[in-house]
Amino acid sequence: MIFRQLSYLFRAAATNLWNFRGRNFISVLIISFSFLIIGLFLALSNNLTYLGQQLSNNLAISFFLDKNLNSEELENIKTQILASALVETINFIPAEEAFRRFAANFPELKEILDNLKSNPFPPAYEVRLKKNVTSLLAITTFIENIKRLKGVIDVQFNQEWVEKMESLSRIVKAIGFFLGGILILAAFFIISNVVRLNVFARKNEIEILRLVGATNTFIRIPFLLEGSVLGLLGSLISMAILFLLIKIFPVYVGSTLGAARELFALRPLTSEQLIWLIIGGTITGTLGSVTSVSRFLRV
Amino acid sequence: MIELYHIWKQYQKPHWALSDVSLEINSGDFCFITGPSGSGKTTLLKIIFREIFPTEGQILIDGVNILKIPDHKIYRLRRSMGIVFQDFRLLFHKSVFDNVALPLQILGWPYKEIRRRVFNALRQVNLHHKMWDFPQRLSYGEQQRVAIARAVVNSPKILLADEPTGNLDPELAFEIMTIFKEINKMGATVIIGSHDRELIRHFGDKIFFLQKGKIIGKETKP
Repeated sequence: MIFRQLSYLFRAAATNLWNFRGRNFISVLIISFSFLIIGLFLALSNNLTYLGQQLSNNLAISFFLDKNLNSEELENIKTQILASALVETINFIPAEEAFRRFAANFPELKEILDNLKSNPFPPAYEVRLKKNVTSLLAITTFIENIKRLKGVIDVQFNQEWVEKMESLSRIVKAIGFFLGGILILAAFFIISNVVRLNVFARKNEIEILRLVGATNTFIRIPFLLEGSVLGLLGSLISMAILFLLIKIFPVYVGSTLGAARELFALRPLTSEQLIWLIIGGTITGTLGSVTSVSRFLRV
Repeated sequence: MIELYHIWKQYQKPHWALSDVSLEINSGDFCFITGPSGSGKTTLLKIIFREIFPTEGQILIDGVNILKIPDHKIYRLRRSMGIVFQDFRLLFHKSVFDNVALPLQILGWPYKEIRRRVFNALRQVNLHHKMWDFPQRLSYGEQQRVAIARAVVNSPKILLADEPTGNLDPELAFEIMTIFKEINKMGATVIIGSHDRELIRHFGDKIFFLQKGKIIGKETKP
């Protein structure tokens, strides 16, 4: 009996989706528009995060070492540096290599270098940080720790870059929380109202079902299925439009924004973000539907 | 057995749609509630199937106070009833078949049995040839007959009908009453709100007269 009822409910949901296709189409459009806005914001935010990572790629720290360290002491410092979770790669630059680099970079100073009796350049460890490292505090703590080690005489790194990167990252996060929060709330509000209007237009049907002896669950299930299908379709359509926008957008932006182009580029959503948007659409459609139906179940 | 005790109903102050209505309808009765328009017939029927609550009073059906049944369990009462609404309450996006089949589909009956029952119910109201039409393509009288078929399709214990023959020609009205009588003979209690004197005289076993929301008389045929 329960299978026959379920099969009836699934068929009823499918029939209703088709019978009210005009109204449902508008609901799907509104849902997809709301999710498109969220998706666009995510794509933009992905790009800013990506730019932040690009900046951190340029971030290298040089730890200058005492010339007289033996290999054991050098190895000890290397081990200490590599122990940090921030470090991506470490490269040892011997004093001779440093001298050679300097000579190559500043050929006009060749005479002065030739007159030197000994190599003034200390050996160094060149450290590159991981891409996702953006916290200035974490970087300075790491540097301070290494600086305290015996044999480390000086440190050089571009603090200005790190500060810029950190403030950019902070802005992106703040915008993310603010806009993202507002957008999600607005989208939920719009979608649940659209679904509510949809349900309201069918309040007679709900009343009739109640009066001929349908249980609340029996009434809710088709609406729940319809709501979830509308939400799913809406979010899938928004993904498709977003995909097209990401493909087309750079063509237009490229010619008008010049150097700022990089900042406003859209970066595709990660598969995790896509899955969350699709789940979000489906849940919003379902919840909007179910909560709206409940209002008419008191006949 | 349906028992109504001191039922009062007020939609808007200061008018009372029903004033102190008390009546008893035994199982298997075929009774009419009659009175002029606005006398409270529809309100009384709506209270019996609990579409609305009375302002005051109690209603017992087979000893159960239906006003105390929680909303989520009211379907049990409604499944034992067949209701012909004054405004028919058909689903216009569903076919005649689907409309009549609704009470059976809700119960999860097998499709073969549903088809047989629906066809029989539609044949009784002489509408079986329009089984796959949609209600908006039917005349007013035909829509009313679809509503009647839906009310009788699951052989209810109690059949409530609000002006079920209001838009039918006298011949068809008699046929419909005969169907109700048949259902009544099978043990169902039938309560009809009507002001068709001819029908009432011909079919009514028990008649309650309503005026301005009050029972002003009762007549029982021997």
